[in-house]
Amino acid sequence: MKARRMGIFKVILVILPLVALYLTPATASASTTKPIVLGTTDKITVLDPAKTYDFYTWEVFHNIGEGLLKYKPGTTELMPGIAKSYRVSSDGLEYTFKLREGLKFTDGQPLNAAAVKWSIDRVMRLKLDPSWLVSAFVKKVEVVDNYTVKFVLKKPVSFFPSLVTTTPYIPISSRSYPADKVAEPTVGHYGPYKIKKWVRDVELVLEANPDYYGPQPKSKLFVVKFYKNAATMRLALETGEIDVAWKSLRPIDIKSLKSKGKQKILEVPGPYIRYIICRCNKPPFDDVRLREAVAAAIDRDRICREAYKGTVKPLYSMVPMGMWSHIDAFKQEYGERNLELAKKLLTEAGYSKEKPFEIELWYTPTHYGDLEADVAAIIKESLEETGLIKVTLKSAEWATYAAKFIAAGTMPIFLLGWYPDYIDPDDYTTVFLHSKWSPDMGVFYSNPTMDNLLDKARTEIEIKNRTELYKKVQKLMAKEAPVIPLFQGILTAATQPNIEGVILDPVMLLRYYLIYRK
Amino acid sequence: MASLKVYIVRRVLLAIPMIFILLSIVFLIMRVAGDPVSAILGGHAPQEQIEQIKQQLGLNKPIIFQFFGYIGQLLRGNLGRSLIWGQRPVVNEIWDHFPATLELSISSFLISIIIGIFTGTVAATHRNRFLDHTFRLYGIITYGLFIPWIGIMLQLLFGVYLGLLPIGGRIGTLMEPKSITGLYVLDSLLTLNFDSLVSAIKHLILPSVTLGVYLSGIYTRLTRTHLMETLEKDFIKAARARGLSERAVIYKHGLKNAFIPILTMMGLQFALLLVGAVLTEITFSWPGMGTLLFERITYRDFTTVQGIIVFFALIVVTVNLLVDIIYAYIDPRIRY
Repeated sequence: MKARRMGIFKVILVILPLVALYLTPATASASTTKPIVLGTTDKITVLDPAKTYDFYTWEVFHNIGEGLLKYKPGTTELMPGIAKSYRVSSDGLEYTFKLREGLKFTDGQPLNAAAVKWSIDRVMRLKLDPSWLVSAFVKKVEVVDNYTVKFVLKKPVSFFPSLVTTTPYIPISSRSYPADKVAEPTVGHYGPYKIKKWVRDVELVLEANPDYYGPQPKSKLFVVKFYKNAATMRLALETGEIDVAWKSLRPIDIKSLKSKGKQKILEVPGPYIRYIICRCNKPPFDDVRLREAVAAAIDRDRICREAYKGTVKPLYSMVPMGMWSHIDAFKQEYGERNLELAKKLLTEAGYSKEKPFEIELWYTPTHYGDLEADVAAIIKESLEETGLIKVTLKSAEWATYAAKFIAAGTMPIFLLGWYPDYIDPDDYTTVFLHSKWSPDMGVFYSNPTMDNLLDKARTEIEIKNRTELYKKVQKLMAKEAPVIPLFQGILTAATQPNIEGVILDPVMLLRYYLIYRK
Repeated sequence: MASLKVYIVRRVLLAIPMIFILLSIVFLIMRVAGDPVSAILGGHAPQEQIEQIKQQLGLNKPIIFQFFGYIGQLLRGNLGRSLIWGQRPVVNEIWDHFPATLELSISSFLISIIIGIFTGTVAATHRNRFLDHTFRLYGIITYGLFIPWIGIMLQLLFGVYLGLLPIGGRIGTLMEPKSITGLYVLDSLLTLNFDSLVSAIKHLILPSVTLGVYLSGIYTRLTRTHLMETLEKDFIKAARARGLSERAVIYKHGLKNAFIPILTMMGLQFALLLVGAVLTEITFSWPGMGTLLFERITYRDFTTVQGIIVFFALIVVTVNLLVDIIYAYIDPRIRY
């Protein structure tokens, strides 16, 4: 027995120094310029501007590419991108962009007017998911001279400058991308960064593009690590493996990171909104008093506090907070909550305690996350607090919900959510409120005054006038309540204390090239 | 040895109907799981797009044609193309991810055997004493543990609190060795890249220990039982009588003879190893087949999911076939 125990000790004695030896050489040996490492649970879907239609891949394209115009970081103001200036014709139908000269894609191909035309034509020809952002508005693109390109629109569109910042408008090289099918080359872009290496779902390594016209990225190397779950990403942040944890940490992790206080937590209102839709063309919600009663009785604060633990904010307009022209229209109309008004309206409409207003409220259980059933339950309770409403909750899986029920008008009142396509109040209002599109969203709302306001705001060029028009739109919307805003998501990033330059804004796309280590 | 050859041939032939049944089951399950077209396209897809996808998947043909088409393609080694993104061939997707899973599986497998046999031997030689009870309990508990839980505990301990080991990924940024086999540890050795080697091993430790511990329990119990049984046998008494040291008796004579059932279990455990790898990979963001499967299920990439399942199934059949053959080779009494 003694002999064997000695044996085990011998083994341990041999192993221990080996372990120590192995643990001592730090990983730093390979890096002279330490890259910034960002973690995300999102993923790159397809690295082709003609096909990609998700926020994360768009974010990547805004770091390896650049549109004709771009947003000034931290704002929704536009500034020149690869175009140094542009001109609008007096009828609002022609936008002429003057490009910066001498730019080259990362594969060496010149970035000129012909390249812009080629890229835009390709998006329209391929007709894939995001192509409508071009083809719904642009009739044709013309090369005026080597550095001048002209967009001819189908109709005047006042938010066209916002549209050209979107990913389908980002030019790519015809040497690297084929003309007639989707591809994912790692060269052939032009932006502050270029791709050094990309392993799908594992990591993306970006390197400063020396040919970029503007200031060089603050960190020469930038690495994105893709995580399968938020728990691992959070641990990676705590161990210092990543410098920035981006979309999306879970509410519970954010809370606990905040309480530990070792990392910085940044939060801004995101452009993601949730709302209730009333089907306005059929009973019961063709009666505007009932829509108003619901709008007055909803307890937004409780949804944010109880279901979301304070990680979302109550919203009182379809135009989100932080976007120009936003006003708290529903708050002005009904206050934060007004049960008395709701009771009064319901009584006027002929309902009483004995004969309550019975409604079926629909939701979809997984598409908007696990908390959806809780949200629906809170809404039910807050409506029933009037004593005059009786709510039956109904649910359907997203495929059925979206494909069959919404546009068919199956659901009298239901929950829905919205991520914007382009950053403009138009994207948050026209689809829901204009009689031409509202049936697609299940609203079936039709009001000539509203149509008129929306059409005007769409074609008006002057931002001051547009702001006034959208304020009117919001006021009218609050009065008639065809859609009832509930809450707005918050964008959260957590960073190590020595990381600076993480700018979150309503555009929702993080600019890696501004991030640096103190 | 002629009979061994006959046995092998018979065993291989028997595997063919088995694979056929297996493929049929995969095929049927994928059809029962719902309409792939609406799953792929989601909401408001235009009719022409639906038709196009149906055409691409061959879903517009009668089901029996679909089935033989699918078997025919499989025989030619064609698993179809992914439905999403670059629409890459599924075979390429699998080859990109398989080395990671193989590396993880090999190291977890070794760890589970080492831990299992060591603890089992100690338990058997300390019968009904403290160490025996401890390791028996270990054998039962590890078997019931949930992999992501073990994983997160290890991540917390060695990653967050001690800061010794990385908690995710396969290797440090831009440290991949030149690819020869796709197994980073092996490639680093072959290319004599010391930095990569250290980084690859560091990244490999936590995931393989997680999976290794989970799988080791069964070996602990098996080794204990069979070793105890063997140690009662006459030839052990004879060995002791000849004055051999206790260590020689246990390791040279006892363990060697208790090994055959353990070998069988290794074959059977292989399927469990793959299942465990899926969970371990997700916990550690390990870029292998498990994460691929998980990801593509969430993306409803019907063909890739089907391809991965077929691939996993074929591996399990092949490994079990090999184990049977090795088993028959080691123990000439075995012929079915």
